[in-house]
Amino acid sequence: MRPPERPPSTFDRQAEKLSAKLAESTTRTSFLGRLGAAALAIAGGSVVAAAVKPDDADAFHLCGHIWTTGSCPSPYPPLARIDRKGYPLHPRSGRPIDNLGRLVDSSGYALDGNGNRLRGPDGKVVARAPRTRICEDWTREVKGLKDLRVQGSWFRCCGGQIRKLVDCCSFSRRRINGDASLTGYCWRGRRVYCVMYYDTGLPC
Amino acid sequence: MLETFTPAVCGSRKRQMLAQVVFAAAAVATSAALGLALGLAGGLLGARHAVLAAAALALVAAAREAGLLRFPLPQARRQVPESWRFELPLPVWAGGYGAGLGAGFFTFQPVSTFWVACAGALALGRPLAAAVCLSLYGAGRAAMIVWPRRRADDATAAVERLATRRGALLRANVVALVACAVLLAVAPSASAGLVARPGFDPSVSARTIAFSTQAGEVVVRPPSGAGAVFPNASQPALSGEYLAYVDGQGIRVVRWRNGSQVARIANPSASRPALDWPNLAFVYRDPSRKRLIVRNLSTGRTRRPAKVSLSADLGRPSLRDGRLAWHVVTRRWSGIYVRTLATRGVRTIARTRIGRLTNPSVCRRRVIWVDERSGVTRLRAGSVRSRRSRVLTSVRSRSVSYWTTSLSTRRAYLTRWSLGSGAAEIHSRRV
Repeated sequence: MRPPERPPSTFDRQAEKLSAKLAESTTRTSFLGRLGAAALAIAGGSVVAAAVKPDDADAFHLCGHIWTTGSCPSPYPPLARIDRKGYPLHPRSGRPIDNLGRLVDSSGYALDGNGNRLRGPDGKVVARAPRTRICEDWTREVKGLKDLRVQGSWFRCCGGQIRKLVDCCSFSRRRINGDASLTGYCWRGRRVYCVMYYDTGLPC
Repeated sequence: MLETFTPAVCGSRKRQMLAQVVFAAAAVATSAALGLALGLAGGLLGARHAVLAAAALALVAAAREAGLLRFPLPQARRQVPESWRFELPLPVWAGGYGAGLGAGFFTFQPVSTFWVACAGALALGRPLAAAVCLSLYGAGRAAMIVWPRRRADDATAAVERLATRRGALLRANVVALVACAVLLAVAPSASAGLVARPGFDPSVSARTIAFSTQAGEVVVRPPSGAGAVFPNASQPALSGEYLAYVDGQGIRVVRWRNGSQVARIANPSASRPALDWPNLAFVYRDPSRKRLIVRNLSTGRTRRPAKVSLSADLGRPSLRDGRLAWHVVTRRWSGIYVRTLATRGVRTIARTRIGRLTNPSVCRRRVIWVDERSGVTRLRAGSVRSRRSRVLTSVRSRSVSYWTTSLSTRRAYLTRWSLGSGAAEIHSRRV
C-alpha cells in the first residue's frame, strides 16, 4: 500500500487521513476508529486518532515508543509530555506547566500548592515565566539546532488511553542520543531528532 | 631522591644545582597543573557541597594518620625510573623526576595528606587559586631534595636524620589535617554569609545595606553606628547617604540618616527604583506600556531607555557607575540587558527561551543575575562586555529559588526564598 502523501504543514491532517484509511479498512476495527475520531474532534479540536490495538504498546523508554530515539529536552526530563500545540505539560498530572516546571493557570501565572497564584516574598503575584514549545524552542536552544519541526506522529494504546507519539524532526544526521538518526515519520529530508508524546485521554 | 641529587650522581656541583632547579621547576609546575585541573573540574561540577566532603575526608585522614583507622591509600608503589639517569640527559631526567613526584599519583604515598589537598582543590572550584595552593605540594617535594642537606654534604646522613623524626612529623600531620577539617567546615559559612533573616530586596552601597521586610518596612543597616527603619516602605535603593523607596504615593528619596526628603516621584505607577545619586531609575506603568525611566534628580533630565508591553515583565533595574541593567521576561523569552548611559549603547548580556533571567545588578564592569531553570536556580556573574558567565552559587530545588540581588565591588547579595511559605532571607557571596 502506498504510504499516504504527507502534507508539509500540520501533522493533524496526516493523522486524519491515516485514521480514515484505517477506519475504512475491512481488516481494522472501524468502529473504534470512528468513535475515536469523533471523540477527539469534540475534545481535542483538530487532532484525529488512528484506530489502535486495544492492548498496551511495547515501550522503549516510554509506553508506545517502540524505537530508540530519546525524548526531547523538557522541564521534567526524561519525559517530554506536550499538549496538542507542543507546549509542556506535567508528565503525571497532564496539567500545563511553564518552563520552570511550575503548574500554571490559563493566563500563565504559576500556582502554589493551594491552586492560588504564587506570590513572592513581597506578597505580590510572581510574574509569569516563559512557556515555550518543546520541539521548536527547547530543543533548539539546548541542542543548538535551528531547523527543528514537529512532523510525523503515530498512535498507541498506553495505560488504557490513546497516546500520540510525536517526532521532532531535523536535517541533522545525529539524533539526541548522539548516534545516527532515523527517518521515522519525518519527511522532506528531515529525520527524527527526539520524540515527545501527547496523551489524548481517549479510552482504548 | 635526596641521594640522587648529589655531585657524584649528577657529575659536578654545578650540574647538581642545575638538576635541583629543573626538578623543582617541574615539580611545582606539575602540581600547579594538577591544582588547575582540579579547580576547573570543581567549578564545572558546582562543588559547593564538596567543601564539606573535603572536611570530612580530612577528618578521616587524620584518624588514619593517628592510627585510629586503617585503610589503603590509592597510590603507585613505585620508585622513579632509575634507568633514566643513565639513558637520558640530566635536564630531562631531573625534570621527569620532578614532574612524576609533583603529580603525586605516580609514586609511594606515605601519608594521606596529598588526597585531602586534592579534595580541597576540587572543592575550591577556582582553577588559579587551586593551582597556587597545590603548587606548594610541588614546592615541598622540591625542598626535600635540598633542605635536609643544608648542614652536611652527606646525603645518607641527612636521610637518616629525617628518618629519626618520622614520629614527630606524623603527629604534626595529624594536627594539620584536623585543622584543615575545621577550616574547610567553616569555609562555606564564611564565604556565603547570612546577612538578614527575614529580608529581601537587598541594596548595597559601600558597606551599608538596605532591605525590605515582610512587615512592610525598609531597614538600613550600616557597618557601624545606628541604622534606620522606614515603615510602610518597600523596594529600597541605596546610594551613599541617599535612599529611594516605594510608598503608597510613589517613590521617595531621602537622606537615610535623618529621613529628610530630597526628591519625590509622586505617582503610584512608579516603582522599582534604582539609585546612583543623582540619577534615579524606575519602572513606570502607563495605560499602554511599561517603561524604564532614568531621571537626573539634580537637573531634571529624563531618559527612557526601554519599554515593553503590559503583558511583559520589566524588572527591577540596577544603576551604578553610569550603567543601567534590567531584565525583560515575556511568554516567549527572557533577557538581561545593560546600557551605558553616556553612550546609549545597549548590550544583551544573556537571553533564553527556556529559562527565566531576572534581577540583574551591576557594579563597575560586573553584572550578576538570577538564572532560573526547571529544578535549578543559579546566581550568575559576568562582565558587561561579554556574554560569558560563571555560576556563583546555585540551588537545586523546586521549592527554593532566588529573588532580587545587589552587587558591591567584592560581594554579591541575593534573596533566597521558599516558594511554599514565602519566607525570604538575604545571603552574600564573594564575587
